[in-house]
Amino acid sequence: MISITAVRKNFQTGDQPVAALRGINLEISKGEFFVLLGPSGSGKTTLLRSVAGLEKPDDGDISLNGKTVFSRARHISTPPEERQIGMVFQSYAIWPHLTVAENISLVLTHGRYRLSKKDAAERVRRSLTLVQLENLENRPARLLSGGQQQRVALARALAVNPALLLMDEPLSNLDARLREEVRASIKKLTSRLGITVLYVTHDQVEAMVLADRVAVMSQGQILQIGNPLELYRSPANSLVAEFFGSINWIRGKMLDSKRVETEIGTLIIDGSRAIDGSVVVGIRPEDVKLARSSNEVENRIEGKVLSSTFLGDQVVAEVKINDKILIAKALADDEKPVGNISVHLPKGRLVVFAEA
Amino acid sequence: MKGRWLFVAISILGLLPVVAFLLIIVWMGFWQGNPGDPVVYTLKHYRTLFTDPTTYRTLVNTLGFASTTVVVSLLFAVPTAWLVERTDLPGKNLVFALVTIGALVPTFFTSMGWVFLLHPRIGIVNKFLVEWLGLEQGPFNIASLIGMGWVEGLGLSSIAFIMIVATYRSMDPALEEAARVHGLGIFRTLRYVTLPLTFPGIIAASIYVFTIGLSAFEVPAIIGMSNKIFTFSTYIFYKIQPLEELPSYGVAGAVSSLLVVLALLLSWGYFRVLRFSYRYAVVTGKGYRPRLIELGKRGWLVAWLFLGSYFIVGKLLPFLLLIWASLLKFFQPPSRAALEQVSLSNFYGLPWSLMLNGAWNTLILMLAVPTLALVLCLAISWTVLRSGLKWRLAFDAVAFLPHAVPHLILAIAAVFTALFLLPNVFSLYGSLAILIIVYTISRISFATRIINNSLAQIHPELEEAAFVGGLPLLQVMRKILLPLLKPALIYAWLWMSLLCYRELTMASVLVTSQENVTLPMIVWGLWLGGSLNQAAAANLVVLAFMLPAVVLYLVFGRRSRFTEAL
Repeated sequence: MISITAVRKNFQTGDQPVAALRGINLEISKGEFFVLLGPSGSGKTTLLRSVAGLEKPDDGDISLNGKTVFSRARHISTPPEERQIGMVFQSYAIWPHLTVAENISLVLTHGRYRLSKKDAAERVRRSLTLVQLENLENRPARLLSGGQQQRVALARALAVNPALLLMDEPLSNLDARLREEVRASIKKLTSRLGITVLYVTHDQVEAMVLADRVAVMSQGQILQIGNPLELYRSPANSLVAEFFGSINWIRGKMLDSKRVETEIGTLIIDGSRAIDGSVVVGIRPEDVKLARSSNEVENRIEGKVLSSTFLGDQVVAEVKINDKILIAKALADDEKPVGNISVHLPKGRLVVFAEA
Repeated sequence: MKGRWLFVAISILGLLPVVAFLLIIVWMGFWQGNPGDPVVYTLKHYRTLFTDPTTYRTLVNTLGFASTTVVVSLLFAVPTAWLVERTDLPGKNLVFALVTIGALVPTFFTSMGWVFLLHPRIGIVNKFLVEWLGLEQGPFNIASLIGMGWVEGLGLSSIAFIMIVATYRSMDPALEEAARVHGLGIFRTLRYVTLPLTFPGIIAASIYVFTIGLSAFEVPAIIGMSNKIFTFSTYIFYKIQPLEELPSYGVAGAVSSLLVVLALLLSWGYFRVLRFSYRYAVVTGKGYRPRLIELGKRGWLVAWLFLGSYFIVGKLLPFLLLIWASLLKFFQPPSRAALEQVSLSNFYGLPWSLMLNGAWNTLILMLAVPTLALVLCLAISWTVLRSGLKWRLAFDAVAFLPHAVPHLILAIAAVFTALFLLPNVFSLYGSLAILIIVYTISRISFATRIINNSLAQIHPELEEAAFVGGLPLLQVMRKILLPLLKPALIYAWLWMSLLCYRELTMASVLVTSQENVTLPMIVWGLWLGGSLNQAAAANLVVLAFMLPAVVLYLVFGRRSRFTEAL
């Protein structure tokens, strides 16, 4: 559906060129919900805008639906209006001088389709029904709330029956509760319509909830592509691990492919090959098991609870082992962990990377 | 805060004359008599005004002139702004530099150039056309409402351009991108999204330009007066300095009062529309630039042909004509015979001792006026934004008045005050001091708005921290505020200094002797006296003097601040 090959883009900031995209390769299949995840400045928005045709890469090829829309080598650069896409902008880009219905009908009557007024009105009603705004048709757009604008933007993007829906941080301007609600409805709606989605966000929870597959980006490069579970359980490097959920890092040196000498003692890992030099062993807080006493033989260390915080559904504890502090997270029990405690780090949940 | 009252007092010192001058103008319209006579109040002047057909002709002239000005300036400003803000046209910095310089070229300068070019009798274009096509008379007439509006409009297109660029920048580019992405092409996006959204901004710019056109003096004075086409500004001037009769301050006061009311109404409208236009403004905080429309090589060519002819017609052509005129004893189109008469005798023949006098006075004005204005306006801005005074918004409103009220009227009020109201011990009439006072007052709105904008961006806690640390107000000003405001102050100082250089409107009634003559007045004097070629030469000398100041401005002044003052 989307095929991106060796796409590069530099921006001129002052006197220095800044690389926004450093050779991106990506294949997205039809009907897939694909999320570009990364911190700000990672190049994810530039990549999305390049697919839309709003940004012109310096090099590489992009094709949509088997049709090349950009190729540096072949001097192809299809303008955005000729690509079969719908797009939801971060600011929603709802035209303030038009009504809700006009915002949608403008792209139907003067866009790729040139529908008649009557047909357009029918389509407008249908797409507003999709986002449950059918009663706001004649409201001036500038009087809409943020959440309503967001839904109009979605309706407008879907009204053109796009082969591909692009979304640029569409939820970042909504408050937390609304965000959850809209997130769920976007997921439902797009999977019902079977539409291909390319979605940009810096919020890992959004990525986990929405994505079939995620590409984690940093400094203009893709660090890893995979489904949310893969990214969470087997991150390709420490950056991905950090960005996709929180994690404890323990520094050490590998003795052999199975053992790491660390600041909290020797840890057994599920590794297959030794890494030279300093390494970091990572473990997610919910994988750090705390118990009064434990029968585990592997990776059991004695520690002391420094603090434990009750968060309703779970408890977060700081545990001190030697001079190292680990964060542990567990489902809330009746009693909070205190005092001296046994810490178990299951070897299947440990990840090891060379220290950056 | 210790020292607070010093600032308030300085503000009042700056703003009191503004209020006083306005009251005096209104009072002038009801007043009759000579110095020393007992004062008589009368409605006679208003009666004269409303029964005189000249008034209505002048009204029609003024409206026609100002409307043409708006149309002409938008004709150049809107496409230029679009090209610069929304396309990939190369050489945008050059466009900005040329526009800024364009805004500095005195209008009396270009006006003279256009007379040499399109005057029905002596204009070279007309002469050529008459010769080639065997016409009875030249087809173009610069000494008409359309002609004058054309010249003024070209002059004001720089300001209109800068304002329209500002509305483009305040608009969320995603609004246009959303149209492109969903299938609207360049022109449909322009028509259904860009134009409707920038329309309020364009209307605001139109009102702004119209207000300036309404009270514009230089073009009607250079081109119109000698051809008996009066607008309100030249009409008022004529009432104060008639050729034959006695000056009629009463009628001038009456016309001025009406003009002030009109100008205030327009300013009110301007702010209403401006607020409306910024209703659509979005600050996305996203760092990306909008997608630039690719014009392609052919598009660049067309765009630069348009821009090139704009700069050539608007600035270069009048300039070349002035050079040509300055080299001739009698103006004539270029020809072999004419080339043989080319000489520098006009330059040798200039009244050099008077010009030195004028240059000296102009230099003093260029140094004193911006300095004085900055001192007053720092105090005013501080009073408005920081003093917490109950009446601070009134200060702000009064500080805005010199922008709305035509400057010619401020000058007339000052002359009237000096002649009739102040005791003779203050011999302000005909002195350099009266020029300094009126010029300074006329710049108050510009300077306060520049300083207001900068001061508003400085967090009050920066000063509060110094107060808490025990610094008195004057020290806080010196150590904290002045360094932070420095770029804005330098910019404002340079700009006001340059405006002093080219100021003719206020000088036209304030300069009454050799003692307080300024350079633009000498040029104008030569022109009115009929020595057109010598006036051209003098004009070039004046412009040459101005050049170092313009370079200073371009080096130290930041162009982006220009928009803040509009």
